[in-house]
Amino acid sequence: MSNLQLTSHGELKHFLTPEGLDRLMLERILDTADSFVVVGNQEVKKVPLLRGRTVVNLFFENSTRTRSTFELAAKRLSADVLTLDIKTSATSKGESLLDTLRNLRSMHSDMFIVRHSDSGAAHFIAEQVTPDVAIINAGDGRHAHPTQAMLDMLTIRRHKGNFEPLSVAIVGDILHSRVARDQIHALKTLGCSDIRLVGPNTLMPNSIDSMGVSTHTDMDEGIKGVDVVIMLRLQTERMASAFLPSAGEYFRLYGLTTERLKVAKANAIVMHPGPINRGIEIESAVADGPQSMILNQVSYGIAIRMAVMSMAMSGQMQQRQALVAQPTNTEAQV
Amino acid sequence: MNMVIRGARLVDPSLNLDTITDLHIEDGLIHAIGDLSGLTSEHNIDAQGMLLCPSFVDLHTCLRDLNQIQKGTIASETQAAASAGFSQLCPSPDTQPCSDAGSVISMITSKAQAAGFCQLLPVAALTKDLKGSQLSNMEALSRAGCIGFSNAGHDIGDNTVLLRCYEYAATFGLKVMVQAQDHALGQGHMHAGPTATRMGLDGIPVIAETLSISRHLEFMQHTGVSGHFNQITSANGVELIRRAKAQGQAITADVSIAHLCFTDTAVQGYSSQYHLQPPLRAESDRKALIQGVADGTIDAICSAHQPHESAAKCTPFAATATGMATYDMFIPLVARLLQSKQLTPQQLVAALSTQPAHIAQTQVPPTAVGQVANFTLIDLQHQWRLDADSQVSQGTNQALNLQQLTGRTRLTWNNGQISYNR
Repeated sequence: MSNLQLTSHGELKHFLTPEGLDRLMLERILDTADSFVVVGNQEVKKVPLLRGRTVVNLFFENSTRTRSTFELAAKRLSADVLTLDIKTSATSKGESLLDTLRNLRSMHSDMFIVRHSDSGAAHFIAEQVTPDVAIINAGDGRHAHPTQAMLDMLTIRRHKGNFEPLSVAIVGDILHSRVARDQIHALKTLGCSDIRLVGPNTLMPNSIDSMGVSTHTDMDEGIKGVDVVIMLRLQTERMASAFLPSAGEYFRLYGLTTERLKVAKANAIVMHPGPINRGIEIESAVADGPQSMILNQVSYGIAIRMAVMSMAMSGQMQQRQALVAQPTNTEAQV
Repeated sequence: MNMVIRGARLVDPSLNLDTITDLHIEDGLIHAIGDLSGLTSEHNIDAQGMLLCPSFVDLHTCLRDLNQIQKGTIASETQAAASAGFSQLCPSPDTQPCSDAGSVISMITSKAQAAGFCQLLPVAALTKDLKGSQLSNMEALSRAGCIGFSNAGHDIGDNTVLLRCYEYAATFGLKVMVQAQDHALGQGHMHAGPTATRMGLDGIPVIAETLSISRHLEFMQHTGVSGHFNQITSANGVELIRRAKAQGQAITADVSIAHLCFTDTAVQGYSSQYHLQPPLRAESDRKALIQGVADGTIDAICSAHQPHESAAKCTPFAATATGMATYDMFIPLVARLLQSKQLTPQQLVAALSTQPAHIAQTQVPPTAVGQVANFTLIDLQHQWRLDADSQVSQGTNQALNLQQLTGRTRLTWNNGQISYNR
């Protein structure tokens, strides 16, 4: 998977998942994002890195927050942005995906931001459909949501520093979470060795311990002494599909309350990818409390997206220049 | 035609034969076996290092055609089967239209007959249109030549219907064939294991298979039907079959060549060519399947050939069509199993020829003097590249496409006629 994301010189050209990227690359993303955090605090928030480039937001699945932060990030990089909401029927999604992408490619788009309900969709597009357009994965099925994971890493690094000594607990619906997988990959690559997953067996993926994490069904045991608590959003439809008996029971067992948070380190930070369900996975007093990083995460999200967009575009440009220097038939791959 | 094959390793489990010998065929009959160095012939084949064995019988294959000619035709896919050493095929009933009527069966068999590569022994639908609610005309379909009844990949949820299927089949002594996978638990896209978790794909747990095997074993026991399980995938599944056989239940089972050779890790990178139903499982399962073939728990190896057009595999993984076109890589995979000594030539030939023939209530003539020529000659050392030019099947879903492969059929004789000659 790493080869697909990198140019022959090891530069980022697509961003599909942190899996397979080395520590240096992840740190470069974080460093670049750090510099964009500063841009966000300036009076004039634009930089010209993507001037003249066309970025297309392709959202095959609904999203307001992720889509708007990507749009904002692209605009702050001075790109021309087109946002498409594409509703697909289950039966024809494959064909319409191919056709849509081929059409957009013909309009000389430079970058696609893709969200799709199928795991591997961004990978499929990068590999088979439009290898010469930079693909940024904005969430594919249950597989990956790498910019969310990286903004979480940025939050942790800015507030906790070095990853090595940290204990991190990820709590809740691990099974359906594309963020949790990427968080695990990124945390491990960045040197964190104590990663704990907390939740009932119905929400824990098969063989997840093979990813080098510990699993805990008891919340107090799972968050005991940790530096970071990452709460995952619980989709309300999980009750209807028999993963859980009720929201009340879930909150009692796995909800993060002020009382329960005392089990973690006194200076532990609390994160949540949003949107939060107050009173289901997290108590308002915690979500709005001094240890909560939830709103910081949102602003770091723009910086991270600016970072990977500018890096992937630069990698694509280098690759295109190399192809011009040594002409080959790029059409052959389509 | 007059042909002499020299120095082949002849393996025929029906005669308990494993010997290096020459073979003389005249007018479609085996004229002589033994040292024929004094004999001259217009067609001489130097078969040193090659394996000569009775032609193969495939208990599970999809030949497409009818309303799916974009995937393959009966002519193209039976030719591909002959190129993999097969002479008799049991096509799955999930044809379009469904194999639940005598007219469909006769159309399929007559097309195969016209093409002239393989005989068909069709498996008919157990329920009308495979919908799991009404019984098919089993008795009439059996008269039309169907050797068994299956609901293919469509699990019958209603136990009342299933009981009646078994009772009706038992009335006429018909064989029920089962692809054992629980419908609700089988909704995922690959084996539930570390690879599925990493890739965020919905998993199909092993219990989806074992629950279904146990359930069908109960029905078979209760009704006395002679049952066959298609495409066992897991170690636990093999163990259930082993136990049932030890307890004296009259059942048989097969495994697909893909499940013997690949595991779920092949799906890494969202490789849709390995998107199969039932799914490829873990290495420990694959090893148990090999052991099952070696000790006779699993009676037969099938191709589970499922050709597709390229668009069927060109979407995000979960939306891609399941199945692989296996005929073109069948012999290279068999050669791999032999080369790595995972199975002996005797075990492989029995599982590809005599044993499936018995299950399909047919015969492959023994490789003996006076018998009609019905064998395949396999060059286990032949190096070749699988690509659009060399493949015989119309299916583009060739998992080993563009790879250098070892092992290829040299020649297939079917019922006194040459059905494949390279």
